[in-house]
Amino acid sequence: MNETRDAICPTPAPLPQDEARRHQVLLDLNLLDTTPSEAFDRITRMATYLFKVPIALVSLIDTERQWFKSRIGITLDETPRSVSFCAHAILQDDVMVVRDACSDPRFADYPMVRGEAAVRFYAGTPIAAGDGMRIGTLCIIDKVPREFSDAERAMLRDLAGMVAGEIAALELRAAFERERRGANTLRTLLEHLPDGVLLLDATGQILSCNPAAERMFGAPCTELATHSSATLINMAPHVVLRHEGNARRIDGSSFPAEISIAEMTLDGHVQLVATVRDVASLRAERERVRAANRRRHEYFRTASHELRTPMASILGFSELLLKREFDAATGRELIDIIHRQATRLIGLVNQMLDLARIEAGGADQLHPAPLDLADMIGKVTSALGDDAQAGRIALRLAPGLKPVMADAVRVQQALGNIVSNALSYSAQDSAVDVNIVLQERDGQAGATVRVRDEGVGMTPEQRKRVYDAFWRASALPDVPGNGLGMTIVREIVMAHGGVIEIASAPGDGTEVALWLPMHAAADAGATI
Amino acid sequence: MQRILVVDDQADLRLLIRLSLRALGEVAQAANAEAALAQLAACKPDLLILDVWLGEGMSGLALCRQLKDDPALAGMKIMLLSACGQQSDIAAGLAAGADAYVVKPFSPESLYDAAAALLKQ
Repeated sequence: MNETRDAICPTPAPLPQDEARRHQVLLDLNLLDTTPSEAFDRITRMATYLFKVPIALVSLIDTERQWFKSRIGITLDETPRSVSFCAHAILQDDVMVVRDACSDPRFADYPMVRGEAAVRFYAGTPIAAGDGMRIGTLCIIDKVPREFSDAERAMLRDLAGMVAGEIAALELRAAFERERRGANTLRTLLEHLPDGVLLLDATGQILSCNPAAERMFGAPCTELATHSSATLINMAPHVVLRHEGNARRIDGSSFPAEISIAEMTLDGHVQLVATVRDVASLRAERERVRAANRRRHEYFRTASHELRTPMASILGFSELLLKREFDAATGRELIDIIHRQATRLIGLVNQMLDLARIEAGGADQLHPAPLDLADMIGKVTSALGDDAQAGRIALRLAPGLKPVMADAVRVQQALGNIVSNALSYSAQDSAVDVNIVLQERDGQAGATVRVRDEGVGMTPEQRKRVYDAFWRASALPDVPGNGLGMTIVREIVMAHGGVIEIASAPGDGTEVALWLPMHAAADAGATI
Repeated sequence: MQRILVVDDQADLRLLIRLSLRALGEVAQAANAEAALAQLAACKPDLLILDVWLGEGMSGLALCRQLKDDPALAGMKIMLLSACGQQSDIAAGLAAGADAYVVKPFSPESLYDAAAALLKQ
């Protein structure tokens, strides 16, 4: 095999006409470079016994090489295709016999002939796979020239037939495996499909179903099959693209469902496939969106009302001033009203913008920093600019207070609002207690500011409406405000991942507890 | 001298209406439904100007319905006044028996014209 004489130029076999297809068939078999297999080895072994030759091979012809799926008598796994006997053999329909390679000009210079292997005799039969493509050979080799009888040819053909049979068996197994995987995929898909699938015959009788359908309707497939499909899907079974209705479980309860039914023909029988989707959560989501839209609509309606009210005074009085004569004192009184209402209007617009900003921005628009709540109450008190009012605030601090993580401007705004409400809705000589304590909520460290007044308090109905935009407790009509204060306070608290709670009873005062976390919330900004 | 009663929870608005309608007659006022009912029991006006939103307590719409059903107040015109000016709001007001529905803000002159027209009927 070690060729030393470089003057030699062996003749390679020409390529078969359909080489590309032939090669593809070989690749698809996934036989190249696989481990030895007893199924093939027993055939080559048998060939060496039967023909009394030292070498027998199952050779597969790859692009540039022949590779031996089975080999008796040699240790090589492959040799170049250009010096392969078998590359010639696959060009023929029947057994190719070379009685003495030395005297055959095609092979005389092959290294296998000239070298150590000293091949003299060769007989090979093409092996067909797929749709008749000759992928290789079963061949026998001897080191001495010999004759090959018709009976021997027939025997070699039979052995080659056995090799082809093994290959066909492999192909079949591979095809079966592919089919099994495909069916498996489909079955797994049906099993995991969240939609219920019912297979019905043409009369609507349930033939089978997937696990989702069993869960939805509340019974195993065998039991569902004893029920009328029309009762379960609550409609006559017929082809429908999308039907929205209420499906019925076997216990009689119902659930909102979206049903589609398609027709198909299986083994010559017309069948129906009903897909049932439980849309309860979808409908709940739709209802949630509708409710949010209603709230938004209500907000804009109320906002429009609130903006128009001061506008009525401004436009009305200014028109009167322009068209009628008033004495100086009355004129001044009217201008004062216009100014007061215009101030109210701009305050309202600013508050509405502020609310929109907090709602839209959530936690993102906050600038959290360590914040001393006691300092904050001090700032809120001095911002009142009224010593008498400031004097009513009694601050108590729990020992060991630590700063919270919060936006100073927003927290001052929120606390300012709460304190101002407490002062406004209680007697002018009563105290407003502000108490700050450490408090853990749901395992999260934080601090609570409690603002308690001894004022008029609220009924449970009033308390429910405290956060409604533009709503005002009108028990004391002289208290200024536009009903957005507590709405904004709640948004500020939510953006911080904090909690606000109100306890109140008519005549018994009100306590507002505002809890803020020590650490910036990871998932803040939830709004209801 | 014709008599007009203005029911609105806002003092500024009551003053505005009083100044606007001064030339039509005597303008009395009430800040809520209860005060209005007390005045109506004492003396029936020719025209009642009623704000739809009266703060807490009875709404202007409910009061309007009640007064229209009261035989003792037959012939009294009711003008509803509101900052809610959508078609549905106006329809609800007229359905409650109002003879007119005026949307805030309004021009004092047009309020005068509308009130004068009702008083002439």
